[in-house]
Amino acid sequence: MNYKYIEQLLDRYFLGETSLQEEQILKAFYAQGVDDMPKELHRYAPLFAAMSPCEQLGSDFDERMLQLVEGQETQQEAQTIELNKPVKARTISLTERLRPLFGAAAVVAILLTLGNAINASFKQDDTWVDADEYAKRGAVQVDTNEPAMAYENISDSLTIVKEGFRVSTPTDSLASGGIN
Amino acid sequence: MKEISFRTDVLPLKDELFRLALRITLNRADAEDVVQETMLKVWNRRDRWAELESIEAFCLTICRNLALDKLKRADNQNTSLDDEGGGRYEPADRSYAANPEEQAVQRDRVEVVRQLISQLPEKQRTCMQLRDIEGKPYKEIASVLAITEQQVKINIFRARQTIKEKFQQLEQYEL
Repeated sequence: MNYKYIEQLLDRYFLGETSLQEEQILKAFYAQGVDDMPKELHRYAPLFAAMSPCEQLGSDFDERMLQLVEGQETQQEAQTIELNKPVKARTISLTERLRPLFGAAAVVAILLTLGNAINASFKQDDTWVDADEYAKRGAVQVDTNEPAMAYENISDSLTIVKEGFRVSTPTDSLASGGIN
Repeated sequence: MKEISFRTDVLPLKDELFRLALRITLNRADAEDVVQETMLKVWNRRDRWAELESIEAFCLTICRNLALDKLKRADNQNTSLDDEGGGRYEPADRSYAANPEEQAVQRDRVEVVRQLISQLPEKQRTCMQLRDIEGKPYKEIASVLAITEQQVKINIFRARQTIKEKFQQLEQYEL
């Protein structure tokens, strides 16, 4: 065995100048396990022995991996089937179409009602303040522009009062008479 | 363009991706998660497979990025006090040291080498993983790491120099 060549290769190996083939030669040389090789060369034997790729994954890995991958595949297939399904046209009636707007319409209606109510109550407040308006609507409808009618009205009222007095006086006098 | 199938083109990359993730995260469980996430990501982009120059480089790039993300998140969760202790050869992950037989194997010098590599900066570690263990050309490593070929060479040179120095130090201890 030409140790000189190996030594040379080793030097170049540590300088990073060897080609892949030369590195292969070195590995093959050390793999032979030559017992009588010089100490200089022998000390690097473990280095090249460590270079054989030995760590491996368990045999169950393949199966697990394929299961994972296939699982993903079926998932994706299901998705694509879902996506490619023909879409049927649905008929939507007018009420169904407008259903989302019902709530909004109800809110608007409530607001309008409230607004009207508030508005009306404010207007009423105004009429209480306005004396002329009150007089117009008042319980006693007096048309001040017609003196004759006014007189009749007043005299009617006064007749009622007189009648009242007339009815009350005898009972009154009776009571007072009882005391006297 | 060749038709790419998940079962024949992507799934067989699992061990390579796993080793890369393991080299970065230094934790078996995390690395396995990373590989799973990587494959799912690759699968979800299957409509773009035809545009890819190399599905392998594409997977490796995603794997590295996810592993780096995981590392960053793990760093945020707890800061290790051991980070400064460069001289120790503590296994980064004890989960596969469970049975005595494996522990015995771990004590082997090969394991020491692996831990030497694990102590390198991430970029050098990844470069060395892809070059020395997976046997990738510089060009592909450059595309995976999104750096120039020259930078890949520099990283590999530094990594090998560091390993060489560590080896010499170890030998002095043993003498």
